[in-house]
Amino acid sequence: MRIVCLSLAAGMLCSGQVPYSRLRSAAADPQNWLMYNGNYAGTHYSGLTQINGANAKKLTLEWAFQARSLEKFETTPLVVDGVMYLTEAPNNVVAIDPVSGRQFWSYEHKLPELTYPCCGRVNRGVAIADGVLYHVTHDAKLLALDAKTGRVKWETVVADYKQAYALTHAPLVVKDKVIVGPAGGELGIRGFLAAYDVKTGKEVWRFKIIPEPGEPGHDTWGGDSWKHGGGSIWVTGTYDPELNLTYWGTGNPGPDWNPSMRPGDNLYTDSVLALDADTGKLKWHFQFTPHDEWDWDAVQVPVLADLPINGRLRKTMLWGNRNGFFYVLDRATGQFLLGKPFVKQTWASGLDDKGRPMKIPGRGPSRQGTQTWPGVQGGTNWYAPSFSARTGLFYVTAWEDYHSTYFAWDQEFEQGKWFVAGGVKAPVPPTNREAIVTRSTEHGYSVVRALDPTTGKVAWDFKLQDMSEAGILTTASDLLFTGNREGWFFALDARTGGLLWKKYLGGQVIASPITYQANGKQYVAIAAGTSLFAFALGE
Amino acid sequence: MWVYFVILLGVSVITAPAQESDAALANPFTSDADVAAGEKTFISQCASCHGRDGRGGGGGPDLSTGRFKHASSDEAIFKIINKGIPGTTMPGFMLNAGPVWKVVAYIRSLSLSQRNQSAPGDAAAGQALFAKHGCAGCHDSTAPDLKLAAGNRSATELRQSIVDPGAEVGTAYWRVSATLKAGGTVSGTRLNEDTFTMQVREQNGALRSLDKSSLARVEIDRSSPMPSFRDKLTDTEIGDVLAYLARSAR
Repeated sequence: MRIVCLSLAAGMLCSGQVPYSRLRSAAADPQNWLMYNGNYAGTHYSGLTQINGANAKKLTLEWAFQARSLEKFETTPLVVDGVMYLTEAPNNVVAIDPVSGRQFWSYEHKLPELTYPCCGRVNRGVAIADGVLYHVTHDAKLLALDAKTGRVKWETVVADYKQAYALTHAPLVVKDKVIVGPAGGELGIRGFLAAYDVKTGKEVWRFKIIPEPGEPGHDTWGGDSWKHGGGSIWVTGTYDPELNLTYWGTGNPGPDWNPSMRPGDNLYTDSVLALDADTGKLKWHFQFTPHDEWDWDAVQVPVLADLPINGRLRKTMLWGNRNGFFYVLDRATGQFLLGKPFVKQTWASGLDDKGRPMKIPGRGPSRQGTQTWPGVQGGTNWYAPSFSARTGLFYVTAWEDYHSTYFAWDQEFEQGKWFVAGGVKAPVPPTNREAIVTRSTEHGYSVVRALDPTTGKVAWDFKLQDMSEAGILTTASDLLFTGNREGWFFALDARTGGLLWKKYLGGQVIASPITYQANGKQYVAIAAGTSLFAFALGE
Repeated sequence: MWVYFVILLGVSVITAPAQESDAALANPFTSDADVAAGEKTFISQCASCHGRDGRGGGGGPDLSTGRFKHASSDEAIFKIINKGIPGTTMPGFMLNAGPVWKVVAYIRSLSLSQRNQSAPGDAAAGQALFAKHGCAGCHDSTAPDLKLAAGNRSATELRQSIVDPGAEVGTAYWRVSATLKAGGTVSGTRLNEDTFTMQVREQNGALRSLDKSSLARVEIDRSSPMPSFRDKLTDTEIGDVLAYLARSAR
């Protein structure tokens, strides 16, 4: 152990020892990628600068890790003091050498024959604290694994997987707690966020996203509709240590497409929740899409940035929402500061003073079908956006000029079955393994879009032929890394959007890139197809 | 020793389903009532992706063609509904065997109803017309494979393609003419296109991959190179051709 410690950069602790103080200052430790979003602010930004605009064209493949699973590969790895931890479908955790790609150990979680992930048995990554990895599973468990061996230290049942609860996101560790929530918004679950003691796995608090009778917000659900109200969690939240608030985006109400079955605003679906990290008490909430009719989960990363708004520096939260609007909120109070469409949308005439959408009647699902922009996958979705304090820009993978035809029909809830009461048609193919793309951009396309968050205006666009489900990484050398469904991974100038480097990886990128430094060399890693690729500067 | 044991177990797991599929299970639920029950389940569980009519569009593929990328037998469709398809958004559904078989029956009914629309023409006469007009000259080469189309498309759609070929040209058959910055033109069928490149099959069959940054100009031609047979074939003759195509459908 001593040797490992000595070989690390000055000031580092022993291998894999990640106390809360290190998590809190992750931004100052760019050699490592210590949590899903890179840092508590969720900026997906790194201070590393070895790879820059002048040398990016020299990026070459260092190694590839081939997952054993052929299922969707949405992992965001962690890199901690010379070890990379990643997840592969359905619920394996693998520790590898971030310099060579060679494996140290793997842990394979045995799942029951049938679990209920809605759209593929994905897992998006792990969390680490004090030499322990935290991993969630499709049978709704939270596991603590020894980072040295991959052995299970404890496991906790978070929910009943037989009632269609499944966990897919990377947990978030805050101080001595690890926070998770369940997916299942298409299967009639009732979402929640729960915090567990990192040492014992004992539940410390639980916040119910669908309020029960007698609880505030319950009156936003007509009749018994709250019982299968959805409000899932499937992307990792963020945390402001000064305010001690943890922020999470919540999923759609259920059933997705027949809103007449659930009259009311349907709190706290499609919202951001600001919870006291110690108690789980709700400090404030902001609902982006009250009474959602289109399946526009607010499952995006809450990005925290301090920005001058109307001449005053404020603690803000930046949010490119699936509903097609970009929002700036005051993250201390939840006050709405700014909101503008960032892609074509036809469902709201705008946002009122409080940020509530002014819906245009007749744009929701119907028996005969209603064509509405954005389409069901939204203006953006779960993949990471990025914010660079250097450029002052917010970067988002946007689906532009994209619509769906939304249908509603009746459906009764049945345990363990899809509960969506409608459907969609969209002229855009799903995530699959196709290498052939002949579709036309007239039915929508993606852009890597840079927004000025103080105005909501587009600073620049990089247009893609097909849709993209890739997250974005920016660095202190003003580089932007992202990929797309076509199978490309590429680097742009974060200030101008100019293309600096590209590489075809031959498999769809449905993950977010990370960067780290090992043995003095900066790497950029991305999952594509069923492999993870690591690039660094060639000789 | 322990390692060998695991490997052997793996082999037995892999071989068991293969043996089963050699003698694929027949669907025990195929009555009209079963199909109706299957439709009900389909609408609640499948239609959000595969469309209310099973013709796709919500992310899931068209299931009405009678042809399935990941399955050929009823048993294989059954297994997909049970287990899902790894690497895609198709999940496994925890339905009991009976309801799943009924969904299989419903999906099968979608394609049978289309085949039943086939015109009752004279297939032999249709074959002669097919030869006389030289259809195979293109359709055995780069134009759409009619043995596939005959199975995937309704008689109405096929008839429209014969009299008005340009009415709906699939994006996979769009033609492109690309002018190179360095001079010269590459034209042919646009096989594949992404943000940075385009793959083209030229008229002479040459396969070309183009870097879009090397192109000065790109023109897409969505028209069909096929002539209309509106004035060349009578309704009866078109019926004969459709009967011939139905017979040769794969």
